[in-house]
Amino acid sequence: MNDSTVKSNSGFIATLDKLATPIENIANFLAGLAIFILMFMGAAQVILRTVFNSPIAGYIDLVQLAMASMAFLGAAYCQRLNAHIRMELFVGSLNGRALWAFEIFSTLVALFIIAVLILYGWDHFVRSYDSGDTTIDAEYIVWPSKLLVPVAFALWFFRLIIQLIGSINMFINPDREPVGIAKIQHVSEVANDEIKETFGTDVPDEGGLKS
Amino acid sequence: MSEAGSLLGIGFNDPFTVGLIGLAFMFVLVLSGVRVVFAASITGLLGLVELLGWGPAAGIIGTIPHSKSSTYALSVLPMFIFIGFLAFHAGITQQLFNAARKWLAWLPGGLAVATVMATAGFGAVSGASTATAAVFSRVAIPEMLKNGYDRKLAAGVVAAGGTLASLIPPSAILVIYAIIVEESVGALLLAGFLPGFVSALIYAGIIVLWALYRPKEAPAMEPSTWPERFKSLPGVSPIILVVAIIMSSIYYGWATPTEAGALGATVVFILALFKGTRTKTIVQALMESAKLTAMIFSLIWGVLIFVRFLGFSGLPEAFTSWITNLDAPPIVIMICILLAYAILGMFMDAIGMLLLTLPVVYPAVMALGYDSIWFGIIVVKMAEVCLITPPIGLNCFVVNGVRPDIPLGDVFRGVGLFFIADVVTIALLLMFPEIVTWLPELMRG
Repeated sequence: MNDSTVKSNSGFIATLDKLATPIENIANFLAGLAIFILMFMGAAQVILRTVFNSPIAGYIDLVQLAMASMAFLGAAYCQRLNAHIRMELFVGSLNGRALWAFEIFSTLVALFIIAVLILYGWDHFVRSYDSGDTTIDAEYIVWPSKLLVPVAFALWFFRLIIQLIGSINMFINPDREPVGIAKIQHVSEVANDEIKETFGTDVPDEGGLKS
Repeated sequence: MSEAGSLLGIGFNDPFTVGLIGLAFMFVLVLSGVRVVFAASITGLLGLVELLGWGPAAGIIGTIPHSKSSTYALSVLPMFIFIGFLAFHAGITQQLFNAARKWLAWLPGGLAVATVMATAGFGAVSGASTATAAVFSRVAIPEMLKNGYDRKLAAGVVAAGGTLASLIPPSAILVIYAIIVEESVGALLLAGFLPGFVSALIYAGIIVLWALYRPKEAPAMEPSTWPERFKSLPGVSPIILVVAIIMSSIYYGWATPTEAGALGATVVFILALFKGTRTKTIVQALMESAKLTAMIFSLIWGVLIFVRFLGFSGLPEAFTSWITNLDAPPIVIMICILLAYAILGMFMDAIGMLLLTLPVVYPAVMALGYDSIWFGIIVVKMAEVCLITPPIGLNCFVVNGVRPDIPLGDVFRGVGLFFIADVVTIALLLMFPEIVTWLPELMRG
């Protein structure tokens, strides 16, 4: 294996990764934005109803439809950052080809079930679109919310494909620089992620952070 | 593979066997490192294919992610998650710790007791155990070490104190339990308050006893004057406001849990803005909240696909009749179940463990005559104990991550004391279930 093949190979994965990353970030940001809006809407709803006795019409229906954006849009982002939970005790103790073989297997499992959910989630959307069904109370149309499942899962599928190619790449030559894969984390690395998430970008106090 | 029975040749002739094989299959997948959402949903799909054939099976599961996620009750989760990510930036931790110290530091082991009470207070705005441990590793450990506390105790109290957050509302994990077993979210949130408080008192009690036994490891401090004590109170008023919003709205029903969560989050958000939190940090908190929300919702629909299959297989009913026919008193069976959770929890993430086991365990526990809200609190308490037990007690790693100068071994040794306290708490909850059921029953009238 000479250097140029290594580079061109990981270069291909890196290109896919660069393509997917901003889209995943935007999708996840939209989910975050939905959370932000839900917060203000909930607070406004309480105040309008209890103080002014004039609640937002169709509030509950709207929240239900909006749930899909929060539930699904971040799924691929979550996959890239290795945040979907798994039991790493056994796989984490493996090295080299054995590790990558397990990664390829688990990614294939994931690809299969997500593919099924994209196809049949699409059907679910098409039925809703054709029948024009609406929520019971406020009669909002339902299909845009159902469309989020196949769309968000397609992003998820694409991310899994990148990770599959990345794992195969590593299986062929475990000495390569890992590209486009979610590294198995030791619990201490998980802990460090949690710490960073808690404190955010604010400057650390004395005591500081490791890493 | 379009007909029923095309995978194993069993089909609907013996759904129970298909259920057992499915359970074993999923277990193997989870052990092989397949993410829980995929392991659960693919087992659900393949199991349903075996029982019903491809068309009906795929048709059923294709609707589950959307239909199970778009429910109003679940909308409380992103609210609680967002509060958790903002809580640190609202700048209330230092004031909380100061107030607790002014009031409690005179006790033997007073600073550690103050830490416990401050973590419990922080738990009232944050449902995240690890975040609480991270925050107090910075706020409380330096103070304790400066005052001559043993570093094992200082680290242990923070790691263990973090676990209080998951019982004291707002708690995401209690909401997840409520959704999975179809209980009232409000009742569970209310039910967690008292056991969370009792846990904190037992932590405090065991610290005082330890400090009396070994005063050098946890020296008492000069008591603060009364004016000093009262001056510390305004700093904690935001916490009291958030607690009042969440508890009273659920108790008196003037807002749904989602609305209460939204109002609480708005208060914390405004506080964070006042403390000069930058837009970048807010956006980051939203990104993290969205990520965690996606993770939890994936788990929920993944497990619900599996649960649909389990329902067809009749496995939960079979397990229930097996448990109820056992020649042992219910309390013995309950203790066995809790021990099983304690062992499982040493190796699994708390939410994953609850979601994977509850569909089978919960109906059996109900058949034994236990209260569903009570069991929720017990099982969440068990899951939290797992955050401080080796080898993967995440809270201990978090403390070690913030304070690399305290070796991990010392953190784990330090939480030993609180592990004992947790066993005492669980025993108390077993003996006096009223600690859990009193508040929700009062609400229901």
